[in-house]
Amino acid sequence: MLAGKEIRRAKLRFGLLSGAVGLLVFLILFQQALLGSLLLSFTGALENQSGTVLVFSEEARKNVSGSVILPPEQAQIAAVEGVGSSAGLAEGTFTIEAKGTDVDASIFGFQPGGPGEPTRLVEGRLPTTPTEAVASKEDASDGFGLGDTVTSVDGGITLTIVGLTERSRFSVAPTLWVTFDGYTALRKASNPDATAVLPSVIALTPAPGVSASQLAASVNEQVDGVQALTRSQAVNEAPGVSSVNTSFQLILVLAFLVVAVVIGFFFLILTVQKQSTLTVLRAVGAPTSYLVKALLKQIFLVVGVGLVVGILLTLGAVKGASAGLPISLEPTTMVVTAVGVVLLSLVGSLFTLLRVGRIDPADVMNRQNAGGLA
Amino acid sequence: MKLGLVELRRKPLRFAIAGSSLVLLSVLLLFLGGLLDGLFIGSTGLLRSQPGELVVYSSDAKDSLIRSRIDPEVRAKVEAVPGVSATGGIGVALVGGQLPDKTDLVNLSVTAFQLPVSSMPSDVSLAPDQALADRSLQAFGVDVGDTLLVGSAKTPITVTGWVSDTDYLQQGGFFVQPDTWREVLADSRPDSNLPPDTFQGLTVKLDSGADATTVADAIDAATGGATSTLTKSEAVQALPGIKEQNSTFSAIIYVTLFVAGLVVALFFALLTLERIGLYSVLKAIGASSRQIFGGVVIQAVIVALVSFVIGGVLMWLLTLVLPAEIPVAMEPARAVQIAVGLVVMSALGAAVSLRRVVRVDPASAIG
Amino acid sequence: MAALELSSVRKTYTSGDAEIVALDHATLEVGDDEILALVGPSGSGKTTLLSISGGLLTPSEGTVVVGGQDISTYSAKQLTAFRRDSVGFVFQAVNLVPFLTARENLMIVNDFGSSRSHKDAKARAEKLLDELGLSHRVDNLPGQMSGGERQRVAIGRALMNEPALVLIDEPTSALDTKLGEQVMELIVSEVKSRDTAAVIVTHDQRMTRYADRTVTITDGVLAA
Repeated sequence: MLAGKEIRRAKLRFGLLSGAVGLLVFLILFQQALLGSLLLSFTGALENQSGTVLVFSEEARKNVSGSVILPPEQAQIAAVEGVGSSAGLAEGTFTIEAKGTDVDASIFGFQPGGPGEPTRLVEGRLPTTPTEAVASKEDASDGFGLGDTVTSVDGGITLTIVGLTERSRFSVAPTLWVTFDGYTALRKASNPDATAVLPSVIALTPAPGVSASQLAASVNEQVDGVQALTRSQAVNEAPGVSSVNTSFQLILVLAFLVVAVVIGFFFLILTVQKQSTLTVLRAVGAPTSYLVKALLKQIFLVVGVGLVVGILLTLGAVKGASAGLPISLEPTTMVVTAVGVVLLSLVGSLFTLLRVGRIDPADVMNRQNAGGLA
Repeated sequence: MKLGLVELRRKPLRFAIAGSSLVLLSVLLLFLGGLLDGLFIGSTGLLRSQPGELVVYSSDAKDSLIRSRIDPEVRAKVEAVPGVSATGGIGVALVGGQLPDKTDLVNLSVTAFQLPVSSMPSDVSLAPDQALADRSLQAFGVDVGDTLLVGSAKTPITVTGWVSDTDYLQQGGFFVQPDTWREVLADSRPDSNLPPDTFQGLTVKLDSGADATTVADAIDAATGGATSTLTKSEAVQALPGIKEQNSTFSAIIYVTLFVAGLVVALFFALLTLERIGLYSVLKAIGASSRQIFGGVVIQAVIVALVSFVIGGVLMWLLTLVLPAEIPVAMEPARAVQIAVGLVVMSALGAAVSLRRVVRVDPASAIG
Repeated sequence: MAALELSSVRKTYTSGDAEIVALDHATLEVGDDEILALVGPSGSGKTTLLSISGGLLTPSEGTVVVGGQDISTYSAKQLTAFRRDSVGFVFQAVNLVPFLTARENLMIVNDFGSSRSHKDAKARAEKLLDELGLSHRVDNLPGQMSGGERQRVAIGRALMNEPALVLIDEPTSALDTKLGEQVMELIVSEVKSRDTAAVIVTHDQRMTRYADRTVTITDGVLAA
């Protein structure tokens, strides 16, 4: 009763606190949603292809777009012991006309049946001829739907979409998967001066009994000038991804800290301000647990309102803002954030809880209110 | 003697609470702003440093330097357009470079130039195996005199001097002769092989008094639509992600500033509550609501400024330990923007207590 | 000229449907160097009378003239300036600003927009504190002083603006008898030496001997 009455009498203060917590939760959730979507649209294609080891040229610095594997290296890699199967995977950016407008698309050329095939096919089938392609479901409404045809602007090669993948985009662009032959044709058509069309990376699957990381290690040991990474390494260490990750983590840590500090200090001040009242309550028989429970109730109420406000804002923002990439909020992110906020607000209020627990009812006699402000 | 200021000095701890939250928020804001600026600077330096007012791409390149090609015939047409005083070919190859005695590669944007960029001496001359490196590469261990093995063919190129603010798509500017660039490009991407005298784009200097957009339209007309000519700032905005980055980060910064306002409002509301008795006495002996409220706002502003300064120092310490890969740039304009935003939001936040200050009854000081 | 003239002052409050009369046609005149003791039980209306005399409340009816100024119809803003320039208050609960030194607590009055310069204010504050026997406490905070010392600082603050009238609310309630007497003596001597008038509200009959005249108030009605 105590907890609710106080909040009703001090709507402004509790409203401001809940508002601040709500906005902070919004910041935390929105940035996580942004980060998740950003990373997925950067590297989804690498994550959801069948090669468990990817071999880059060394000077590409783990960047698919900057990597190129020459034929001798390709042969050396294929010959490394522990390789189950190997295939070239090429990637390039092309200007594609879809639905009458030109867009930049990232096109992957893979060997059908070999490692490097897209694994998250949700509709249709994989391409079998050089003029067939698989597109991303995320771009289906932009002229990349099943059965649509798109044309490369340089060279005028027309591709028919025969299948759709999900979560398999690359470099925040519409992504197409074509056969390696199809890729070669596209390359040659766009640049007549091209001397050879080479794979960007080599996708590998290990032989039975060999793990991906073992295979990556033996490739690095035995072949000069290349860098083999497991699929998850290639995703997490892709250029930009790790620095984006670190940056966002720093931002999130700061935002979480602000939540803890604001909530912690708020309840501390409130408790100090009503210390004499609490002492009187103890003196007239209120058990410590009653006061602590009242405080906890308020903390949970404030955090709860803040979470609801924050989540609603985030859902609204995710729906409203399409900042060039589809943002989605994972339920697990929401739950983890909510739990984190509740725990941190408890940690922030720990000192206050202890203070309430230590209130001595005997103080009511010597704490004569002298009336002064000192 | 101003009551609000004296209180700040004598009882700083009373304000430490609002202050500590604002310090954290300042660090957050400075980091967000620094990241935004760092990403912008690191992506756009090459274009911004060009000496010409206009940038010419081939029209099928979607305003991307890497996919653009300008051959000598097109260039001749551009140069014939009235208002054009000079053109310079530009080209870029995004490759890795290996430092002596190091296994790690640094990201380079090997850039061809014909007209010197803003940070170069006007009489710059380079041998085919020499380059001017961007100062941002210092953080990765590059120094004048170093010979880097550049690209797939590990072409040895020696750094003979510095340029600054010339990075492109987060790769360090590395300025070489056009032929050197073509060689690096052909070695690294055989499918992007370019014939001699063909560049990816042109920087166009204008005659004095010529209107940039008029000349740009004239160039595209003269080439029969084979080119897409942009002003330098349009070219910068056309880079992938720049606009989205800007709007997303700005939105986050504004929400964070709003949080700062709420936090100040919250803690000053609590402070005001503590001081109701004091205010009634002050009013009884002749202080006006305006004077008392003015003191509260001044306190909020000073708390915000002090917190910003502490936050700035923390942010500066943070930049010392952050890895060089995180592109954080501390721009004075951004710091000023954030400081002003914090001060304004704090003043507004403190204003929430106005009603309560006005309502304090001086008569309650007696009895 | 009288320091305070109340003519038929009436003050009523409404509480629900009922009208509560706090002060009923009070008429009172205090001479320009007179010390008046106002005695009455709690709830008798003595605090209301003091508040109206000092411009903290406006009367419902009647006129209030302080030092020649008729403040009965003053606006809130005018009353603020009046309190700043023309009366001095000594509050029951002392009410010094806790984070200001003794000298600063006196000078704060000057801060609200007085015509006196900072330097003059400082000199006057130090002189007053010296007269009050607090020259060794000039730079001390209220928390470092005894109750009697704090009360003396409060008297100094009331005298800072050279008021025509000093209004004192229960000056001895928080002090023991001996200290209370010392404080009363000090008030009387300070007020007398300045030819200033004072109204002292008290419920303690023993303190009335320090006053030139005593008026009692019961249920809002004055009786000499």
